[in-house]
Amino acid sequence: MTLFIQLLLVGIISGSVYALIALGYTMVYGIIELINFAHGDIFMMGTFITITIYSAFHITDNPPFGMPIVAALVVAFLASTILCAILGVVIERIAYRPLRNAPRLAPLISAIGVSLILEDVGKLWKGLSPISPPQIFNTIYYIGPITISITDIIVVVTAAVLMIALQWMVTSTRIGRAMRAVAQDREAAALMGVNVDRIISFTFLVGAGLAGAAGFIFLLKFPTTTFTIGFELGLIAFTAAVLGGIGNLVGAMLGGLLIGLIGSLVNLIPNSSDPNVHGFGIPHGGGAWSLAIIFAILILILVFRPSGLLGQQTPEKV
Amino acid sequence: MAVPMHTSNRLFLPARDTRMLLIKWVVALIVPLAVFNFVWQGDALINNVILGFINPASAPVTDGQLVEAVIFIAIFYLTLLALAGYLVAADSGRRGVLEVWIDILIFTVVPILLIVATSNNLILGLALCGIVWPIYFILRRRIPFLSFLNPKSVPPPEGLRLIDSEQRAIMIGRARAGGFWFGTSFAVIWLFVDLIFFLSGQLPTELLVVTAIRTVLLPLGGYFLGQLGGMLAVRRTLAANGNGNGNHASEESSLRSRRQKERQILATSRASEETRAVVPNDLPLRSTGARNFFLILLVAFVVFYPVIDPFLFGSGTAGRLSGYNDAGYYVILALGLNIVVGFAGLLDLGYVAFFAIGAYAWGIVGSTQLGFISPIHIPFNALSGLFWPMLLVTALIAAGWGVLLGAPTLRLRGDYLAIVTLGFGEIVPVVFLNLDTLTNGTNGIVGVHSPAFFGVFWSQITPIPYYYLILALIGLTIFANIRLRDSRLGRAWIAMREDEIAAASSGVNLVRTKLFAFGTGAFFSGLAGAYYSAKLGGVSPETFGFGDSVIYLAMVVIGGIGSIPGVIVGALTVYSINLFILNSLDTLASDPTNFLHSFDQFIVNIVPGFTFGNIRNLVFGIILIVIMIFRPAGLIPSARRRRELTRAPEGEAALELGSLDVTTTDPGFEAEVRIE
Repeated sequence: MTLFIQLLLVGIISGSVYALIALGYTMVYGIIELINFAHGDIFMMGTFITITIYSAFHITDNPPFGMPIVAALVVAFLASTILCAILGVVIERIAYRPLRNAPRLAPLISAIGVSLILEDVGKLWKGLSPISPPQIFNTIYYIGPITISITDIIVVVTAAVLMIALQWMVTSTRIGRAMRAVAQDREAAALMGVNVDRIISFTFLVGAGLAGAAGFIFLLKFPTTTFTIGFELGLIAFTAAVLGGIGNLVGAMLGGLLIGLIGSLVNLIPNSSDPNVHGFGIPHGGGAWSLAIIFAILILILVFRPSGLLGQQTPEKV
Repeated sequence: MAVPMHTSNRLFLPARDTRMLLIKWVVALIVPLAVFNFVWQGDALINNVILGFINPASAPVTDGQLVEAVIFIAIFYLTLLALAGYLVAADSGRRGVLEVWIDILIFTVVPILLIVATSNNLILGLALCGIVWPIYFILRRRIPFLSFLNPKSVPPPEGLRLIDSEQRAIMIGRARAGGFWFGTSFAVIWLFVDLIFFLSGQLPTELLVVTAIRTVLLPLGGYFLGQLGGMLAVRRTLAANGNGNGNHASEESSLRSRRQKERQILATSRASEETRAVVPNDLPLRSTGARNFFLILLVAFVVFYPVIDPFLFGSGTAGRLSGYNDAGYYVILALGLNIVVGFAGLLDLGYVAFFAIGAYAWGIVGSTQLGFISPIHIPFNALSGLFWPMLLVTALIAAGWGVLLGAPTLRLRGDYLAIVTLGFGEIVPVVFLNLDTLTNGTNGIVGVHSPAFFGVFWSQITPIPYYYLILALIGLTIFANIRLRDSRLGRAWIAMREDEIAAASSGVNLVRTKLFAFGTGAFFSGLAGAYYSAKLGGVSPETFGFGDSVIYLAMVVIGGIGSIPGVIVGALTVYSINLFILNSLDTLASDPTNFLHSFDQFIVNIVPGFTFGNIRNLVFGIILIVIMIFRPAGLIPSARRRRELTRAPEGEAALELGSLDVTTTDPGFEAEVRIE
């Protein structure tokens, strides 16, 4: 039971990171129907920017709490968010806008191209081997047998605040209304006086900014990053977005949390070669199969709800 | 653009103009041939073959290879002689001499020179062409001074339909002259060169006899083959009777409704495509007839490549062939994926799964693994022979999984379908990785047997048998693709791709059609998989990732979705960028005499640890984006896609419609329009 609750916690924490990345996928898809493969790599850039800022502030493991550490955290968070947001806008301008009216697969391939470029830039920047950020918070609380570190709380709270802010922006502000209008019908929105190009740029700005923030948050909790992490986490986050119903913000958050929970709880499945379980279980235990199980559950859900959990069933038009 | 009336007078030129035509095409063909022979190693091939016959002991190749080389040389020169005749006969004479020569220079001489300049590196030379040609296109489009080089889209001349037997005889006569003069001039140049070499003592005396025979044979062969080429050209003229356009005016008045306008636009695009097939032609080099000659040359080159390679590209044949063998299964994979994505329009992001299934199927049966996991023990020396039936079984297994994995996607559309296929692409390698008892887990399977065939020695280090195996498999795949595309099933796929609901209401069974698409696509990746594990001698679970699926998709999209030649070109382009070009750049940069060396040093000073291999994805990504921005429909778009994207302006329609053999108002018109 302790293990279960502990895994539940891990699931919620990684799930909130997935959800932040998934939001970027889902926003972009909602507005221009493009699977932005480069999104995960923007997240990777966010982690690299964060690490660079830490080393610029000479932060080491377990630093004494004080002004410099707070300043470094704030600067790293802002730099990662803002630089990634700008990167997102630049990518949209260079690689996607010229293809707005091209055949459907062309922007997808262009997105793959951007993803490859960012990966190699990351490789040239930080090298091939995984790099570790300084571990800043190490205070741990015990609630009965369950351990929670202060990092966990910061991660979940920050992610939650960002998601609530985004939800508020999309539902209650003028620009959010414009975004929803463009997502619904681009031409009609243009006729109503919405500057479609600017709104699409803004969507990329917000989505990529969230990915940058996710990069910062990720490094608080997880010990390493490398140039391929964007690809790996991006894939999972994209799955989360589809699971929730791509184009739907709440769906992306829900999908992220679900995938985080599934990915963590599969560790409960025992290894079949373990003598304690009498042959029950699967080879190598559930952890080795987590990706397969995540996708299997995704496929099952999509078979019964073809537009994701919260996605709208679009009627087929003739 | 209106056609001036005097064009029909120019259709059959006076004698002085015939002479002009002869000069135009003889020079146009001789210059590249001479560059090939004397700048590159073209004549080394011939001389070595002849020396091999005269003095077998000193020959660098075996007898069998000698015969193959002779066959290749024969096909090569005979095709060129016939081509000379065809071109002279097929040319309408309306495109200037200079334009043709510059085109020939850019598209044949420049590649040969670039290959020579990159120390006989075929891939690198062609890659440089990939830079030079777009620059040429941009220049001639942008600079007014060079704009005369652009091929103008002139409609076929009005007199086109009126070629009677007398005019045909004139055309054949011109073709004969073309072949003869091409043969003669080439024989004379070659004789001249040989004499110089002989006098400077570099040519063995025995070869002089060959030179003499050749000098006689070339004009003679040119005469007859030129006539053959002329006859081929004449077959592409339109007959004098039939399909008159007398009721043209009444047609025009009836073209009222929107439906008919649509048809007319389609017909116009089709007419402009058909002008390519009709002779006399403004651009005979691009006409369908000339393409057949190019196809013969290409097939001969590819089939006899292992023999020609050492002469043209120097030592290291085995390594190069091995690389081309790898490129081969990428072609099969791309063609297979093209069925799913290109024909049926189902975005598949997990195609690598079926490749993995195919590779593991032969990997398990073709090694000792099957003995470990089951009581079946196949005798060791029977394993290799088992490859051939297993090739089919493997492909069928993969096809079966294609149908199985396709079944859950039937209700899904668009990107939800993509994500489910992606899911399967992720699940399958994880299963192979973790099912140790079946697949040997992380270690993969080693010691997979090569095929065996009629006493030919097969092993992982002799690439030639694999070369012919993959060539045969590619041939089979291309044939199957073309036949499938034109079949009832293929038309159902295309209908489904364009509009599922419309297809369903026209009686297409969506479930069956989709499952067939997944199954057929997987079938070919199963073939590729079996070949892959047999060639590599092992299978490892790490080689099948999402990244590979993405690469296959990029091949299809870069080449041109749904277009078979496009997809082949796309696969070869992507493969060579990925694995050949950047590696060769590193080799060049490590050579201190090369200009790339200083460039490399400069970058290493800024970014430590820089190599060209390290920025492979960077370069690949940039190329992907650039191709997508400038050619969003791919390098060679399918005919249908091209029709959709570049519709002829309406004003020209009435003019060109006349060249169709079925007019738009005929009931048979739509049956005639080919689907691709």
